[in-house]
Amino acid sequence: MSVRSVLVVEDDEWLAQLHARVLNTAGYKTQIAPNALVAIQMIDDELPDVIVLDVLLTGSTAFALLHELQSYGDTGDIPIILCTNLASDLSVKDLAPYGVRLIIDKTTMKPNDLIESIREII
Amino acid sequence: MSATRGEHEQLFDGPFTDGLSSLVAAAHELKSPLALVRQLSLTLEDGNITDDERHRMLRQISLTSERGLRLTSDLTKVARLNDALFELEPINPRQLCEDIINELSPIFTAHNRNIKLISRKHPLLLVANRDLLRRIIINFSDNALHHADNKSTLQIQIGSLNAGKTIRLGVRDYGPAISNGMMQSLKSKLAIAPMPIQARPQSSGLGLYIASQFADIMNGKIGVTRHHDGATFYVDLQASSQLSLL
Repeated sequence: MSVRSVLVVEDDEWLAQLHARVLNTAGYKTQIAPNALVAIQMIDDELPDVIVLDVLLTGSTAFALLHELQSYGDTGDIPIILCTNLASDLSVKDLAPYGVRLIIDKTTMKPNDLIESIREII
Repeated sequence: MSATRGEHEQLFDGPFTDGLSSLVAAAHELKSPLALVRQLSLTLEDGNITDDERHRMLRQISLTSERGLRLTSDLTKVARLNDALFELEPINPRQLCEDIINELSPIFTAHNRNIKLISRKHPLLLVANRDLLRRIIINFSDNALHHADNKSTLQIQIGSLNAGKTIRLGVRDYGPAISNGMMQSLKSKLAIAPMPIQARPQSSGLGLYIASQFADIMNGKIGVTRHHDGATFYVDLQASSQLSLL
């Protein structure tokens, strides 16, 4: 089986590095995008199997990126996990049309929650 | 010379003027550093890390905690602005900015970024409260650090306006440009200044609100200039007239 790839869109550099560390250790190929624009460029180059997406980003918010991804057939099918401090204000049901499959609360998550969440959806 | 809130009548009419919204904004702003410290601690607890990683993570915990503590300290200061008396004095902006750069260099180094001063060798003195001005510039720098591109160099710039009557201290970052919509929003808010301005969409604007409160008490104002590759947040303050007395 080929190595699964994960794109982490997170503007907190140190938190992104922690996410990448956990994912790499679990055998995933991980890329980090600090904002939505860089994320789009990376997705253009290579479609990831999963996107882990922070909501409050530098520049455009995650919702602008979600809209962009839904505008194209190939990117619209990428499963998305929101990883955010705003988890209590969001619902998977509302965001499912935008490809959001799970929401992780940054304030209560444990490092391995990322792995379990990715395994749950792919 | 001194200034108090009562001597300066222009009060904010923004979203943080009631206690509840301030509390919510403060809670929101503190979530990020606390969540990061928690993740770092959990990773350290796991134990499966190298000595280099442990050293780096402990350093990140210290620096992130300091960032959170700066915010709580600023909030306390804002809450007491009404009662306190702030001494205004002639200040050498170059010396102040050099001190700030020394203070911030550990966190910039940890983020692989640089911060440097752009100034004349002998800039005009300005009139301000040293502690409040220091907090404003550190606040702008913290904001810029978070939004600047990796490995970019941030600049603290000192310049003068209005034939030397106004001194501008700005913090220039190099990162994603502020969108047209956001800039229009900023301009409309600045046009009816003083109003709190939100720097970037993901920010509650609390940091800039704090900075504008501190500037206000010193008869100054804050503002933002958009560039194609980032932004400059600045504070304008009155130049010292002590030279004209000679």
